[in-house]
Amino acid sequence: MRELIQIQNLDKIYVNGKIEVHALKSIDLSISEGEFVAIMGTSGSGKSTLMNILGCLDRPSGGRYLLDGIDTREQSDDELSYIRNQKIGFIFQSFNLVPRTSALHNVELPMVYGRVSAEERRRRALSLLESVGLGERYMHMPNELSGGQKQRVAIARALANNPPIILADEPTGNLDSKSSIEIMEIFTKLNRENGNTIIVVTHEPDIAEFTDRIISFKDGRIIEDRPAERGKVSGKEGLPCNC
Amino acid sequence: MQLLIENIKLAISAIKSNKMRSFLTMLGIIIGISSVIAISSIGASAQGAISKEFEGYSSGYMYIGINWQTVDEVTEDMMLTPDDIEALRHRFPDDILYAAPSVGIDSVTKVGRVEGTLSINGVAADYTRFSKSIHIIHGRMINQNDVDGARNNIVIPVDAAKKFFGKEDVVGEILPAEIRGNSVDLTIVGVYEIPPSIFSRMDTSTSYTCYAADSTVMQGGYDSVRYIEIFATEDKDIDKLATSFVSYLEKYKGVAKDTYSYESLEQEVGMINTVLGYLSVAIGAIAAISLLVGGIGIMNIMLVSVTERTREIGIRKSLGARTKDILTQFLIEAIILSVIGGVLGTTLGIGIAALGALVVGVDVVIRPSAVLLAVGFSAAVGLAFGYFPARKAARLDPIEALRYE
Repeated sequence: MRELIQIQNLDKIYVNGKIEVHALKSIDLSISEGEFVAIMGTSGSGKSTLMNILGCLDRPSGGRYLLDGIDTREQSDDELSYIRNQKIGFIFQSFNLVPRTSALHNVELPMVYGRVSAEERRRRALSLLESVGLGERYMHMPNELSGGQKQRVAIARALANNPPIILADEPTGNLDSKSSIEIMEIFTKLNRENGNTIIVVTHEPDIAEFTDRIISFKDGRIIEDRPAERGKVSGKEGLPCNC
Repeated sequence: MQLLIENIKLAISAIKSNKMRSFLTMLGIIIGISSVIAISSIGASAQGAISKEFEGYSSGYMYIGINWQTVDEVTEDMMLTPDDIEALRHRFPDDILYAAPSVGIDSVTKVGRVEGTLSINGVAADYTRFSKSIHIIHGRMINQNDVDGARNNIVIPVDAAKKFFGKEDVVGEILPAEIRGNSVDLTIVGVYEIPPSIFSRMDTSTSYTCYAADSTVMQGGYDSVRYIEIFATEDKDIDKLATSFVSYLEKYKGVAKDTYSYESLEQEVGMINTVLGYLSVAIGAIAAISLLVGGIGIMNIMLVSVTERTREIGIRKSLGARTKDILTQFLIEAIILSVIGGVLGTTLGIGIAALGALVVGVDVVIRPSAVLLAVGFSAAVGLAFGYFPARKAARLDPIEALRYE
């Protein structure tokens, strides 16, 4: 498998006045195309910092991050915008849909910045909403949707430009257990059928168990990198909810 | 292009979702633009009306007389006589179409129990050939026989006819008057009408402008005047012509240089235009100030909008919006806000101008250039004052923006 994400000796230091916070310390990590990975850790462990760097929203202080062979350190802000647009689909804990904007238009947004024609945008956005089970509600505003529905719109939006990588930051953090399972099942399906590389940041072990590989963080370092229990993954259909 | 249309849609929906706030923001621009449009249209209308007013006169119209800027005391040798006028006509036979002493007297008249004041202007024959605003509707104008014989004939305006006799056709009726201490009975030979104009509407005097032969008005030993009225040919440079008339008269009369001066219609029109020009500059300054205030209002509200939508900006950036895309989005919103203000202001301004023109009774003149300028200028205000907030939005750090509550 091709290595989609290669991280070597990555450091991230925040300088806040005179206080330096060493958020990531010499991280080495590689993730291949088609992997389904969970990044676990308590708050302050550095997992969100890693997420921001993986998503090209932030730059590392030291070390190297190659995304699909591109050295992100050498990219300009506009080039990073392009990478975010074409290669990464974001899913956030708080959904981050644009308010007062219909589900349809939210899904169209990445394609607007990707210079996709209006008809094609609409066609693709409708089919994506259909695939996450919101075909009927495409004209709804975010405040007219439930949490689970909002997150499904966000997933449709993340898939708009068909990016190879989906980055989900605590995607189930604001959802009830039923919706959480639904969302994780969508991820599983995307990974198995669509071949998307999916990285989920979470602090919930039960959510992490949906994935194939669990990477644990503590104090800015990777303390564990292990495969998930395969039994749970393969037997998802009849999964008892204990989360 | 795609993105531009998208940005325009976005801006309109943002403006729509805050209707009241958007309107109040636009108010500065609306007031500024509408006052510019209204005042400039009223100015243009006034100018149009004034030049129409002078259309009644040929452009060769001029006054020549004592120059009060140099002459302190008028002596007998400076006074202009019919002989002088004759000499002037003789010297410039092709250029002078009409020349007569400018003389006028006021006289009280009484017909039955109706009393009124006649303001009698002395004219030579053929006056109406040059002063085209006088329309004889009954009888005739003062002619050569009246002038030669100093006949006690008079031409009166139609409203005087109605007042004194209760009818329009009063040719042959008698008006008693007093000319230089002598009681005379003036026979009405003509009734005229002047098309209504802004001046006649604004004229509140109660006297009636009448015409009699200049010889009639000057009877009783008065044979010299301070001014003469001339219609010259329109083909030549009127200032040059007037200057040569003045210097000829000075030489002919043997008086000092600059004893006489002239006033031409062109000068008058020029003076009025100068005054209107100053007015425009003053209005322009006021408009600039109100547009500045309007622009600051737009900047203020755009800054609020950027702060309110910090999270949205973060979302857009995470989805791939470039710095330029965010800049354009907010810039377009500011421009659309001020252009809508500009269009509303233009409409309001035209409305005010039309109302004003209706009240004064002149045709409203809207200059397309003024409208284009106003809308263009408001767009420029939006661009200038929207730039700073838009840049602030574009430069937001995506992580910070996404975290913003």
